[in-house]
Amino acid sequence: MTSLIARLRTTKQPTNDDAYYTAGQFVLIKNRFARKTSGVIAGWLLFSFLLLGFFAPFFAPVDPSIRGADASYQRGAPQAIKFWDENGFSLRPFAYTYNKPEAKLDFSALLSAGGGLDALDAMTESGALDSSEQNRYEIRRDQRRYLQFLVKGWEYQVIEIEALGIELRWNRHLFGIDNGQIHIMGTDEDGKDIFSRTLHAIWVTVSIAIVALIVKLMVSLLIGGTSGYFGGRVDSILMSFTEAVRVIPAIPVYLACAVMLSSLEITPTQRYFAIAVIIGALDFAALGRRLRTHILTERNQDYILAAQLSGASSGRIIWRHLVPSFSSYIIVDTLINFPYVILAETSLSFLGLGLTDPTNSLGVLLQKAQDPDIQQNMVWQFFPVLIFVVLIMAFVFVGDALRDAADPYSDQKK
Amino acid sequence: MLLDTLTSFLTDTWLFWVLLSVGGLLFWKARSSQYFHYILNRYILALITLLLVSGIVFSLMEVLPGDCAEKIMAYKNTQGESISQADIDAERVRLGLDQPMPVRWLSWVSELTLNGDLGYSCAKRQSVNLALGDRFWMSFWFCIAGLFFAYLIAVPFGILSAFVINQPWRDHNPHNSKLQRGVNTLGLTSNKLLDLLLRMVSYLGLALPNFLLALTIILLFVFAGESAPVGLFSDQWKSEPWFGDAGFQTGKLTDFLAHIWLPIFVIGWAATALQQQTVRALVVDESNKLYVEAARARGVSGVALWVKYPVRHSISPLFNSVGFDFQRVFNDLPIVAVVIGLTDAAALLIEALALTNDQELAAAILFLVALVVISMNFITDSVLAAIDPRVRKSVLAGGQ
Repeated sequence: MTSLIARLRTTKQPTNDDAYYTAGQFVLIKNRFARKTSGVIAGWLLFSFLLLGFFAPFFAPVDPSIRGADASYQRGAPQAIKFWDENGFSLRPFAYTYNKPEAKLDFSALLSAGGGLDALDAMTESGALDSSEQNRYEIRRDQRRYLQFLVKGWEYQVIEIEALGIELRWNRHLFGIDNGQIHIMGTDEDGKDIFSRTLHAIWVTVSIAIVALIVKLMVSLLIGGTSGYFGGRVDSILMSFTEAVRVIPAIPVYLACAVMLSSLEITPTQRYFAIAVIIGALDFAALGRRLRTHILTERNQDYILAAQLSGASSGRIIWRHLVPSFSSYIIVDTLINFPYVILAETSLSFLGLGLTDPTNSLGVLLQKAQDPDIQQNMVWQFFPVLIFVVLIMAFVFVGDALRDAADPYSDQKK
Repeated sequence: MLLDTLTSFLTDTWLFWVLLSVGGLLFWKARSSQYFHYILNRYILALITLLLVSGIVFSLMEVLPGDCAEKIMAYKNTQGESISQADIDAERVRLGLDQPMPVRWLSWVSELTLNGDLGYSCAKRQSVNLALGDRFWMSFWFCIAGLFFAYLIAVPFGILSAFVINQPWRDHNPHNSKLQRGVNTLGLTSNKLLDLLLRMVSYLGLALPNFLLALTIILLFVFAGESAPVGLFSDQWKSEPWFGDAGFQTGKLTDFLAHIWLPIFVIGWAATALQQQTVRALVVDESNKLYVEAARARGVSGVALWVKYPVRHSISPLFNSVGFDFQRVFNDLPIVAVVIGLTDAAALLIEALALTNDQELAAAILFLVALVVISMNFITDSVLAAIDPRVRKSVLAGGQ
């Protein structure tokens, strides 16, 4: 794609050699990344998802917790937002009013049939008693509800940094609707808004991945750094341990740890961090080995000798001299691993051992997809699946483009 | 009498002698051959890694709540016996659970190395070897088939993907006329779109978690009004033996094949994404090297150039990673097994970990998977050192 654009461009921009040769590693990576169309598109997609996720309370029209559950619209289908219909055009988008008709259960049939259990069975069979039949809504096409922007709603924290004592609270939301709530993606069994839950879930899932990757980075640096820097016996002991951890399948190990967690008495927040730490801490093998190999080759370089002769401590040499020489690889590797960590969290949640229902995480929302009731009667609850797939794809494409961009030899051919 | 003691001694310790004689054979060979010296090193390393794995797995299982004595006593309780704390403690002493963990680990490992006994599953109240039985082999073949499927898709498509994107010389060749170069650029662009499409399809296997994929396929069957291929056999063939009165039952085989594709497809597709990424990166890396350029300058072109130069060189790192690929595929298997309703070792593993807290069974399965991975790594290392001159040169020179 870029080659086509480059060809269409008539005047080639002269490459500024000075700028190119004095550019830092990250500028080079950035320049190479900008040439990958698919990576850039995925990057913007990812960025907007993360923005939506981080400021979810602002973008979400409805409180995703049980407080915001809409008792008058449970198991409701998505409410379409329209600009025009047969009654005319409106610049302000609108949705219709949804009414729940009075339950018209005809129990007299039971009596006329003699009040026997057979009649009750027949009634159950006909589906009149099941909850999706009980929650049919009629659309009042003549009663429009108009969308409002920057409406007042429930109060939320925009940002909170405890250490600095900063806490910003606000109660405006991007959009809302007259008379009641808007459910663009429908509601679940409790009347919680699917769209709002999904937005909140994005950040929960991504932040688990961030915590896990930070822990992973720390453990890898510790093991790889120690092993590579000291070499010899320390190296062989640590590396055979790493090798042993590497051959054991990870998900069963996460499972065992999650089972242990569920037997402990911990709050949901602690549980959330514990899961992130477990996922991160057990995943050090691949990165740790790469770090160790790199440091093993780098530690005999002259600049390390110079640092040693100047009296720098081992820790300082590792942190200030060896690790920075590897930082671009570390960052790229971390980004590439995002989807795998998210998938690990999802797998745990799927088995009911990760986060559990009141929490909004993508894993929890995905887990619902295995409920036959949802598969048959509430297809709109598959909306989080769509978001999840797009999110992972965006991560993978960004990771792919970054991997190519971070490779210093990739544009020698150009 | 003496013979009896000897036979029972040998049957109790057969695995140890097998391991020892393999080591001895390698040692004897290693005295005269550098290659066998390397193999002996790998063999010893593999055994050490296995020992470490057993330690990790064993200590991991300590974190699961409950222990054997409680499970046996809980079972006896359901049989109508009344149980007190003193009974549980007595049972603990009888099973040796009051010993510190290292002692129990040592006894487990020695039983394992002497005669391949994986211990006793308290939740199932039978020996682990018996409880696992063929199920481990079933999982093993599932993973191998899934892996094979993944390679079958990933290798050709990965190569194709690398092939279509990496032809910058066509775009810049100054010998071509302007029109020719323009046509080439258009061709390159469509190639890149093809590459994008291939990558999207393979990444979809990664982005759709495998349980969702399995669920979706089952749902499609349900909506189509057919019975979903859940489990291994349909009800009709479940109880039929493989060999009936009229010889081999082909009906059972077709039924088996009609069910088996689903788990293989699901775990295979998830593995394809990573494989394809790897193959693509390897081939792109190799094709940028100077020897490829030199071959192109000599006039080798087209498929011959790709097959003989970059592809051939990227095969050995790929082959080297078979062991870890197997581990990755097995990683996905438990969840797929839960969704599809398989009864293999992966399903047993989930059951043992999440439902019954059966430490012995779970430890045994994890250990066996690690064993397979380590043996595969050992085999690929040995084969590569034997046939790939680059590897041979580096390991044999490094060994001295």
